[in-house]
Amino acid sequence: MSSASSSAQSRHAASSRWTPSRAGRVGTLSAAAFIFAVPIVTFILMGFRQENAIGQVPGGIFSLAGLSLENAKRNLDVVMSFNHGIFATWMQNSLIVGIGGTVLAVVTALPAGYALAKLRFKGRRLLRFITLLTMVMPNTVLVIPLFLEVSAIGGIGKLWPVIVIMGFYPFGVYLSYIHFLTTLPRELVEAARLDGLSEVMVFLRIALPISKQAVALVIFFSFVANWTNYFLPLVLLPLSEQGTVTLGLQQLIGSSPLFDPTTSAGLSTKLYMPQLALATTIMIVPVLAVFIGAQRFLMRGAVVGAVKG
Amino acid sequence: MTATTLGEPAIVSTTPRRRRIGLPGAESRGAAILVLPFVLLLIVAGLIPTAYALIQSLQTVQGFGLDNFVRIISDFRFVDTFVHIFITLLVWLPIMMVGVVGLSLLVYSSPGRFGSTMRFIYYIPGALAGVANFMLWLFILNPGQSPVDFLWNGFGYTTLNQVAQPGQLPVILAAMLFFQGAGTWLVIVNGGLNGIPDEVLEAAVVDGAGPVAMAWMIMLPIIRPWLGYMLLLNVAYGFQLFIEPQVMSQVTHGQISPQWSPNQLSYTYAYQILDTGAAAAMSVILLLISLGLGLWIVLRSGLFADER
Repeated sequence: MSSASSSAQSRHAASSRWTPSRAGRVGTLSAAAFIFAVPIVTFILMGFRQENAIGQVPGGIFSLAGLSLENAKRNLDVVMSFNHGIFATWMQNSLIVGIGGTVLAVVTALPAGYALAKLRFKGRRLLRFITLLTMVMPNTVLVIPLFLEVSAIGGIGKLWPVIVIMGFYPFGVYLSYIHFLTTLPRELVEAARLDGLSEVMVFLRIALPISKQAVALVIFFSFVANWTNYFLPLVLLPLSEQGTVTLGLQQLIGSSPLFDPTTSAGLSTKLYMPQLALATTIMIVPVLAVFIGAQRFLMRGAVVGAVKG
Repeated sequence: MTATTLGEPAIVSTTPRRRRIGLPGAESRGAAILVLPFVLLLIVAGLIPTAYALIQSLQTVQGFGLDNFVRIISDFRFVDTFVHIFITLLVWLPIMMVGVVGLSLLVYSSPGRFGSTMRFIYYIPGALAGVANFMLWLFILNPGQSPVDFLWNGFGYTTLNQVAQPGQLPVILAAMLFFQGAGTWLVIVNGGLNGIPDEVLEAAVVDGAGPVAMAWMIMLPIIRPWLGYMLLLNVAYGFQLFIEPQVMSQVTHGQISPQWSPNQLSYTYAYQILDTGAAAAMSVILLLISLGLGLWIVLRSGLFADER
């Protein structure tokens, strides 16, 4: 936030006139925004088109002609009728593991982050080190070993092992750790102890009520990670009806006549680009919702504090 | 334990003494309860699978040995998978680093509504990580319906297989990964820039530094640890590539090898060859690479120094 003042000053100085450097900056940023936005916008609009009219619309892909809600409705019907409505099951499975994993991540990460930041205990440095190490390692690295572990206990095809594994979220611990380190004054903890609160109660009564920012960030990052996770459900949920929507989307792609005419020939429901685009758009709605909800917390720079340590 | 409620005067006077002299264990016990749930998950989802992978990878019919490692390394695709990753990293990382740093500096010098709108737009593709991002890129790469169809026409491409030729996959992956990840890293690098004290920047202006000198000589050195972090984390991510080449192989009917990346080869051993020993050996190799990069980030980047 300290940047706000300097930013405001420089802005004040620059906003009076258009210099070449300012035009160059605004131009470059706008051009980049255009490159980022066009694929997404045209892709989402694709869900409002008819597959046999895509090539025929005057003006092609950028044209607004050929878009209609009826098309979207028809495309939705096709997606929902695929394999007797399995798309809804996929969405449901994704919501279960996504929300379950996120709740578990929040419930475990906040107390652990608090303890690492504010309490002295044996093994604190070691736990902090292991947390950091597991945080910076890609979560796909253990997927095959996790498969071996889960299959050893007979948990393949069940949702709960996926939730438990997704609940392990060291980055959430680190976010909470930084949050409590930077926002919770030592004196407040000391005072609560003087009042006779146990360590756990100090956390519940004093630390937790002021951790909205940390909760929002953990929810956001963990939910997005869970929702978009592909490799873990792929190996732990092998049957189609057990799968999440990430696996489902791959299945939709794989059975589209666009990419596999032979397999799709036998299917009663045929998905073309408009239906695939609509299914993808539906799939990203939960992530966008969480993103917009967490947007003000994200941009506050706490993420950066987290990395900065 | 001090299971007393707020406002009990008798306890107020005794507790501090007990804390400091009498019961140094109370803090430890409280901490143990608070970290326990996380530690349990760490054991179940982190330590046990790691140990399991190690044991599996070393287990052979005669006892323990390196047979599994020999088998996976001598697979005719083993070297190729790593070569693919190296080439992809060579294309992707420079684009990522230059793109993110450049956009970050420009966004940083665009405060107010315009800058934050730009940052928001760059961030949106992050919502489409993984398969959704891949689907979007299929739409871009598939001639005929693509918004950049003019580009494919220019190259003379009319089918997806012409666009997604094996030699072009690193470039395609680089574009996909940049599109998906740039916004997130931009937020992080931007935050690093925001952390630069005003006095430093003002002093530079007084010394007559122009915008370019300012960026090159003041800002870049200060945010260098973040850039190192970003570089190493992206390298680690690159070695883990799975879904993009996997689905690409599917939609191109095997024009892209189903064993294109190390993780795909490991997956093939686990599921098609049903050789869990070799699959575990590949996991251990990837784990060691990640571990090496991870240790480097944690111990050497200077980002995670202990505060106490």
